[in-house]
Amino acid sequence: MAYRRQSPWAFRFTTLTLVLIPVAVGINYVGKLFASTLKLPLWLDSIGTVLSGMLAGPWVGAISGAVNNIIFGLTADPISFWYLITSIAMGLVVGYLAFTGWINSFGRAVVLGFIVALVATVVSTPINVILWEGMTGNVWGDALYGALVDRGWPIWAASFLDELVVDVPDKLATVIISFLMYRALPRRLVGLFSGGDRVESF
Amino acid sequence: MAVIEVENLRYRYPQQTEPALDGISFTVEPGEFIGIIGPNRAGKSTLCQALVGLVPHFYQGSIGGRVVVAGLDVHRHPVSEVCRRVGLVFQSPFTQMSGAKFTVYDEVAFGLEHQGVPRDEMIRRIDHVLHLLGLWEVRDRNPFALSGGQMQRLAVASVLALQPQVLVLDEPTSQLDPAGTSEVFTAVTDLCRQGMTVVMAEHKVERLAERADRILVLHRGKCIAYGPPREVFSREDLPGLGVAIPPVTEACRRLGWRLPDGTYPVTVEEAVKIGGAARGGNPG
Amino acid sequence: MNRLRLSLYVPGNTWVHRLDPVTKLIMAVVAVTLVFLLPGFGAAVALLAVSLGVLAAGGVLRRSVPVFAGVLVIALTFVVVQGLVYPGNQHPALTLGPITFYREGLLLGLRLTLRLFNILAATLVLILLTSPADLVESLVRRGVSPRFGYVLVSVLQIIPNMAAAAGTIMDAQRSRGMETEGSLWTRLRAFIPLMGPLVTSSLIATEERALALEVRGFSGNRKPTFLHEEVIPPYAWVIRALYLTALILAIAGRWMGWL
Repeated sequence: MAYRRQSPWAFRFTTLTLVLIPVAVGINYVGKLFASTLKLPLWLDSIGTVLSGMLAGPWVGAISGAVNNIIFGLTADPISFWYLITSIAMGLVVGYLAFTGWINSFGRAVVLGFIVALVATVVSTPINVILWEGMTGNVWGDALYGALVDRGWPIWAASFLDELVVDVPDKLATVIISFLMYRALPRRLVGLFSGGDRVESF
Repeated sequence: MAVIEVENLRYRYPQQTEPALDGISFTVEPGEFIGIIGPNRAGKSTLCQALVGLVPHFYQGSIGGRVVVAGLDVHRHPVSEVCRRVGLVFQSPFTQMSGAKFTVYDEVAFGLEHQGVPRDEMIRRIDHVLHLLGLWEVRDRNPFALSGGQMQRLAVASVLALQPQVLVLDEPTSQLDPAGTSEVFTAVTDLCRQGMTVVMAEHKVERLAERADRILVLHRGKCIAYGPPREVFSREDLPGLGVAIPPVTEACRRLGWRLPDGTYPVTVEEAVKIGGAARGGNPG
Repeated sequence: MNRLRLSLYVPGNTWVHRLDPVTKLIMAVVAVTLVFLLPGFGAAVALLAVSLGVLAAGGVLRRSVPVFAGVLVIALTFVVVQGLVYPGNQHPALTLGPITFYREGLLLGLRLTLRLFNILAATLVLILLTSPADLVESLVRRGVSPRFGYVLVSVLQIIPNMAAAAGTIMDAQRSRGMETEGSLWTRLRAFIPLMGPLVTSSLIATEERALALEVRGFSGNRKPTFLHEEVIPPYAWVIRALYLTALILAIAGRWMGWL
């Protein structure tokens, strides 16, 4: 992407990127909807956050994540407020890495998926420990948690693994799906989102 | 005094090598209805957007020449200021709704709130434009629950609430059914009759031919004709360039039915008059 | 009309409804903070009683039941897992075959459940009894950027629209013979053709929506005005004072070691 001249941390708050944020939240919602309709064992509820980071950088990605959890906290599921920081972290990481070349190929996108899963786990674990003594509310993850704590593992370690087994498949799938959709967008639109063009005279 | 002056306007989108607009010049007088026609990708949308400053301010890219609308140099002022002098209505009724208002009444208020218009003035203007566009009865409905034609009229109302002197419409009926198309054309013609200057890019040339004072023909970013509909549509070179002309004009050309000034009719009424005369002159 | 909104807001005209959004925001935030500040069962129960009382006054107690029931599953998981494996477990309380539940763990699970319900009840005051659009507008009046306010409110309208589009796509793909049931792999493969068109078209539509907002003066820096006037009833100040006093007392209590 030769014309991504700006720093990854440049503020890209144009009207276009602001309009992207609600759309990203909508995509998150629809992803979750399709995943549950198809009875997939994944949430796939952050595709929009990841796409907004890929298109418009870390700040817009972070805000999409934040708005997502604020809105769902306010309207559907108050608990999602607490995972605000997880969503923000994902948006930041994807946005930064996307603008430093980590979505230039499929292989790199897979690595990005693992990084995102790790970040989500690291950030979510303390929240799980504060709120629920380390559990996630996911049946499989919590079964593992129970088994580990039973064997004398410390709560934070059991909680970390509980979250990790839940997050790796989900975030990996999320990033790969987002990457495929990003690649399918018209280049002109991608350039418009990433900004960096100037008005010149001729 | 012209209300729109475009002088040698050139524009190229970022990352492109070919210019989208290539040396366009024209003027529009207050109260005129101008139709912009031309094949796909001739630059119609780009020209409409250049009149309100979205080109170049939104898209960036390379710009040359001068665009002055209602006394404002568009290239030197942000869109948020230009939009108080000239309004733009787009193709899709759906994407033009702000998406942040839950009633028709509040939707019109959106732009006024962002422009900081005082509340009393806001209410006065909203009431006025809703009556003007026949939306008063649906003022409490959700914008997304309207028909396509109603939604497009709401888009016009929302832009008019900012009290521009010029209204630009970019193929406003391309996603509407015939009923919706008629609604929009009637509304716009009424506005024009009340003194509004209107510029409309449109594929439905027969509708423009009936109402427009002048037609501007774009082809590959250049203005190849600008004049009264009969004069423009009578040109022999248009069909060869892929520019649509009204079916009536096409038929009259085949039949050789010319008006006294040598042009071909562009409306059915004109054609009927000539046709009647032609038959009267050659009975049998 | 409400069909097109994403919101659990239940319109009404009780004294809770007539409170301004900011007062209800203060009530919710203070109540959630108190959940973590006040130790002990008694305080948690009292707090829950207050929040439920407000919900009852707003006439939405029955509407809250499904929400509470929905998280009951999570709550049960807490009680069961903590009852079994909590490191502080000492006194067996209940034995079912080879499984033994301990008193300490069960009590901890119960405390977590109470905490969960308290958080829910406090936020439901905001969610069920405050129109989200009014809340955002109140915040914009107090200095939140109108552009950010736009983002929050437009989410509320875009989600029902996209959900409706998702339903249409689902039906269309099914009628074209796409398999949406069967093995995990089949279902996983169905995800992309369902999601792709919607994502692409909604991202492409952002361009025209952004253009349309621009020509309505969205990106100017003028101080915004508001079509609707804000009404703060006098008793709202009393309620704000009560909640804030409770918060200050609780913080002071923790600080001084009274609690």
